[in-house]
Amino acid sequence: MTSTEDSDVLLKVVNLKVYFELEHYHQKDLRDVFVGAVSHPLDYLFKPKELFYVLNGINFDIKRGMRIGILGVNGSGKTTLCRCLAGMIKAQSGMIETRSEIRAIFDTGTGIMPELTGRENAMLLARLFFPKVKDVLPFVNEAITFSELGHFIDVPFKQYSKGMQSRLLLSLVSSKTTDILILDEVFDGADVFFQAKIAERMRSFIEKAGATIFVSHSSEQIRQVCNTVLVLSGGGIEFFGDVEKGIEKYYEMGSKK
Amino acid sequence: MVIHEYWIQIQELTLASLKSRYRKTLAGFIWVILNPVLMFGVQSIVFKKFLKIDMPDYFLFLLGGLLPWIFFTSTIQMGTPVFVNQGQLLRSFKINPWVVLGAQVLDSFINFTASFILIMLPFYATSDKPLLSLLLLPVALLPLLIGTLSITISLSVLNVFYRDINFVMGFIFSLLFFLTPIFYPVSFVPDDFKWLVLINPVNYFIDPFRTIIHTSNFDGFFLVLCKSFLASAVFVLIALLIWKRKQNDFYRRL
Repeated sequence: MTSTEDSDVLLKVVNLKVYFELEHYHQKDLRDVFVGAVSHPLDYLFKPKELFYVLNGINFDIKRGMRIGILGVNGSGKTTLCRCLAGMIKAQSGMIETRSEIRAIFDTGTGIMPELTGRENAMLLARLFFPKVKDVLPFVNEAITFSELGHFIDVPFKQYSKGMQSRLLLSLVSSKTTDILILDEVFDGADVFFQAKIAERMRSFIEKAGATIFVSHSSEQIRQVCNTVLVLSGGGIEFFGDVEKGIEKYYEMGSKK
Repeated sequence: MVIHEYWIQIQELTLASLKSRYRKTLAGFIWVILNPVLMFGVQSIVFKKFLKIDMPDYFLFLLGGLLPWIFFTSTIQMGTPVFVNQGQLLRSFKINPWVVLGAQVLDSFINFTASFILIMLPFYATSDKPLLSLLLLPVALLPLLIGTLSITISLSVLNVFYRDINFVMGFIFSLLFFLTPIFYPVSFVPDDFKWLVLINPVNYFIDPFRTIIHTSNFDGFFLVLCKSFLASAVFVLIALLIWKRKQNDFYRRL
């Protein structure tokens, strides 16, 4: 019984802590550092820096089939948590145990080479997204067809509107399934028609993916997409479970502040 | 992800950036070659004819110092702002920052190789230097490449935190150009000032290359090579330390 349960766990987060040195919070120039180092050399070298815990003891499991919506006010550590899960940030303590393939998008308004056409950007991004795939062309072609960009696909990416960029990137990233997909506020910014269209594709894609983590400020989108909600607050998990209860909890917290 | 996959990503990114760069230019690649050619042309006239620096095969001597110097400085100057310029890309997707930087350095190395072949080989062919020693070039270029890469990594990471680094580098390089034995041999430096050459890492990176190109005297080559590798190892360590220390703040500062 336990063994089947374990195999369903795609990713395990154990007591995850991420902190930043508070001193680095404002942008310093070399002069400030130099003045600080010269006027208080011992402090500069040995004084323990004040720490700010963005994530402070996060524990949860991601199981197959979970579609987790992360809610939390600005600065509650949503993106930091996603970056940790994606392996972009190393936590100072705690562990993330996983053998799953994880794909993460944090913004859809980005092309790599603005001078190159949408098609060329798509090819390049496909190679960066799917490094294990030898021939990415089928995926790229499928994504281009889905994006309905028509002849715009051979126009330089820099001439695309935000919606067109978002269409191409979301089409591309959803052209191939993955174990865990992380989407951090990627639907925000595009207009409602794009959102509806892409959300539909995302939902079917999300069903194919092993598990999904979805960050959004829109509780409506969370309701549509997710089957679990995780509420972050002050670097800890405030709630993890049922969607409606989670959203309720989130609004409760927000109104208190 | 294995190194092989990173390497593929670096190649793809380099190709795309070459394509992107030359699409919006008129003469494209010619500029890349023209820069070292003009630098070399002007300097060889000034130093050989005006200042009358007297040494055998001065043109090859100058090239042996100038080409690695141009590679070193242009890589660092193009590489240092890479993370800041590509900040949006790095924040948007899960792409290893080293892939983006690696592509920039590879790009620069391709320029170096192209200008080397186009400028150096005609010179080399007309002189009576043994061509066989050119086979040692890859070994001589390795510490230059590793050292340049490590310094670029360190500076590009620091540039995310202290944006002024990018501006300071141009100024530092214009000073360093005169303090590095590029257009004059070390023997011209008075004993009192020799320490300036000794503490200058660029000198160690250039030396093996120049030994092959110019002196063709391989008595002390192994020692020169060892020093060069040692200097690059120091910068590898510094780069690793800086990355380890700054890694977590990196994405917040981008």
